[in-house]
Amino acid sequence: MTRDVINEIRGTKTVPGVCMICPWHCPTENFVKNGRVEYVRGNEYAVNATSRCVKGISSIHSSRDSDRLLYPMKRNSQGVHERISWDDALTQIAARLKANKDAFGPESLVYLWHLDSNETFTHKLFGELYGTPNLSGHGAACDQDRRLAALETFAHPLPVKDYANSRFVMLWGADPFGPNEALHENRELLESMKKGCRLVVVDPNRSRTAEKAHLWLPIKPGTDGALALAMAYHIIETKSYDQAFCDEWVHGFSEFAEHVLSNEYTPKWAETITGISRETIIAVADEFALTKPALMDGLKGLVNYTTGLDALRTVFALNVITGNIDGPGNLILKELAPLDMPVDIPEEAITATEQLPLGSAMGYPLAPDMPTQLLPEAVLEGNPYPVKSLFFHICNPAQSDPNTRLFEKMMAAVDLSVTIDIYMSETAQLSEFVLPEASTYERAEVRESLWAGPQVVFAQPAIEPLGESKPLYEIMKGLAEKMGYGEYFQWNSWEDWARKQTAFLPVTYEELKEKGVWEGELRYHKFKTDGGLATPSGKFEIYSNLFEEMGYSPLPGFSEEHRIKPDAEYPFQLINCKMQYHCGTHTQNNPYLMSIVSENWVELNTNDARRLGIADGDRVEVSSPQASATISAKVSEAVQPGVARVPHGHGFGRRFGTLARGKGTHINPLFETRMNPVSGGISFNECTVNIRKI
Amino acid sequence: MSQYGFYFDKEKCIGCRACEVACQVWNNAVQTVKWRNVSCLTRGTYPEVTGVNASLACMHCAEAPCKKACPRQAISKEEDSGGVTVDQSRCVGCMLCLWACPFGAPQMGVKGRMEKCTFCEERPVGKIKRACEEICPQQAIVSGRIEDLVLRSKQVVAERLSYDKQAEVILGHEEK
Ligand code: SF4
Ligand code: SF4
Repeated sequence: MTRDVINEIRGTKTVPGVCMICPWHCPTENFVKNGRVEYVRGNEYAVNATSRCVKGISSIHSSRDSDRLLYPMKRNSQGVHERISWDDALTQIAARLKANKDAFGPESLVYLWHLDSNETFTHKLFGELYGTPNLSGHGAACDQDRRLAALETFAHPLPVKDYANSRFVMLWGADPFGPNEALHENRELLESMKKGCRLVVVDPNRSRTAEKAHLWLPIKPGTDGALALAMAYHIIETKSYDQAFCDEWVHGFSEFAEHVLSNEYTPKWAETITGISRETIIAVADEFALTKPALMDGLKGLVNYTTGLDALRTVFALNVITGNIDGPGNLILKELAPLDMPVDIPEEAITATEQLPLGSAMGYPLAPDMPTQLLPEAVLEGNPYPVKSLFFHICNPAQSDPNTRLFEKMMAAVDLSVTIDIYMSETAQLSEFVLPEASTYERAEVRESLWAGPQVVFAQPAIEPLGESKPLYEIMKGLAEKMGYGEYFQWNSWEDWARKQTAFLPVTYEELKEKGVWEGELRYHKFKTDGGLATPSGKFEIYSNLFEEMGYSPLPGFSEEHRIKPDAEYPFQLINCKMQYHCGTHTQNNPYLMSIVSENWVELNTNDARRLGIADGDRVEVSSPQASATISAKVSEAVQPGVARVPHGHGFGRRFGTLARGKGTHINPLFETRMNPVSGGISFNECTVNIRKI
Repeated sequence: MSQYGFYFDKEKCIGCRACEVACQVWNNAVQTVKWRNVSCLTRGTYPEVTGVNASLACMHCAEAPCKKACPRQAISKEEDSGGVTVDQSRCVGCMLCLWACPFGAPQMGVKGRMEKCTFCEERPVGKIKRACEEICPQQAIVSGRIEDLVLRSKQVVAERLSYDKQAEVILGHEEK
């Protein structure tokens, strides 16, 4: 293997790892010499091979960054964080958790994460032993609508893409090339395109992905659902769906067809709403229905509007009615590897939760992740029940959620707040306890990754933890001991639980440890061989009885009832997008990335800018009904007139980090807390602004 | 003498700059000095916009203008690989090489001496890819002997044509 060549040249040793920059978790190789990470790249045994994205390769800096959190801290009565020993920190946190559980029940603890890393230990301690139902990722600020649409249609939260075999791909408000999502998928898409696969991209702005597309549909913001319904109308009207597949595998096809036809979701109807001509809609619908295999998928550009859930349900329905699902070249209902739990909690020790999870209790029973923007209400008003303890694991809602001021108010009021992170963050600053976690270079993890087939990544510590930082599993073990659950977290080294976790994999522990990755067989059409889907009907559900029972529409429609559209006072739709060179708040202290881009900006169409007398690089004031912010302007032809595009506010305008501090603008205070009424996902783009030169 | 070089596929490049950073990390270059540079250009007016990305480093030219321009004979052409290298102890930082280079490849490092792509000289060609090449998520960069790269590019074009639905194509015509 070529890793040996590198080791020979540089005198290093290869330690397999996992990337912790974004939730795609690419398998990696770290090259180590004398306790220092010398070089990093992708794992050549894995589908991404030696490749990494720019953020991944740059993240080598976090193995050496002197700005990392190095010891536990506690806020004193003056609000200043002071150093404290691990033993004191864990003893105090454990005692407070116990008191809160006794007085308010286990559900008073809420634990949030962003990257889902080593969280199985959290589930064991806080979920099973302590008994809270409130452990959640930050999906509400991310892919919530897609997750719910996928759960409803496929009973699978995260379908992935088999571009390698596709002949036609249509991406809706998804820009995988922009922020470098799933590296192997991106590579396969472009390779397929060289072999004649067609790519259609629906996006108001010319994104990185639109740049590569054969056809780009510059749709009006938030109207994708109408376009998808019109495509369905044409496909149903011309009977170009897959009748045999619908008969056998689709629940509610006739209801869906009747719904689409009787509501007259025609291409003509969609033309005025979407700004895409009816001829184009018909041509694309024909091409999609007649080219096999095909796939279509959507992401942030859809979920960021209140129309996103129905749009995604329709997009998924289009895959299903044309028989394009879970086969070669389709959306794949990814199969998981047979991983065991790192530790087991015996039945009798598990605390059965009586309370509903916060999301359900607050009127969002179908929300896949907790609608975190509802937390302030629970904490401040004890509604629907008191929340007293908050944990944030590498997650920074003070920067990433809307309505920053309300979040700050909540943090001031909550009884116990703990942030576990590798860097000081705005959320950590508002927390009583700050616990330093070891970075991905300094700890082990056995986890599933996002290839279409079963894929396990086995990351191992390459260097010693910086300062007093500890891996999450050691933090959970320490807390468990203080909370009286120590007996369930017994191991001498991480290898003990890693062995247990991987025992059922068809590969020896030694081989897995050496390679750092295991990939099983990518099986297609699993629903045909494995006895149907896990949906209530066992079929693909484009009519949802569950939605109906909950009082929601069982079929996806198109309603702009909750949309916020530009008007005379606020003439621009604010579109929040991802940045190619940064992700979340961890990359802003990275010298490689900051030398590429060190601030965010508002991007305006040339004509709009000219009208407002704004030139490229000018400072402008962007105001929403909520708040105003000052930011640099970028004048561009890639942005639709009437749109103001801002790459992720939540990474910039930070208060910590030698390089990060003060760079760019934190845009989130401008967003009002708008959410999808069914999924509870945050509709960031339902925001209009005014812009003026200052 | 062989001549090594880079093949670059602009249709695959997404302008992500992973190659720039991998080059810096592997070669221990300072974060602000880039031996490889990615340019992203867009043209046209909304919605008729086209874009192209190009990742460029030193071309290791056959007749290197930088070598001719250097008054100190600091730049030489390697016999075995055709690589253009610089002897920093002879460089006085006059930047004439940068003026001469059509690609802006020579970089003045923090010490004020010329530095640039070394074709990852430690990495044996044929056994392992260059750092930029191995990191590129799209496999847009390929390094190798020029003859092999020329052959490769012909094969790529032929392959594309074989998938083309139209019976006849005008070569050199850019599909939109
Ligand atoms: S790494 Fe590859 S895709 Fe990214 S900029 Fe460089 S050449 Fe282009
Ligand atoms: S530095 Fe420029 S002129 Fe010299 S060999 Fe490289 S590309 Fe050619």
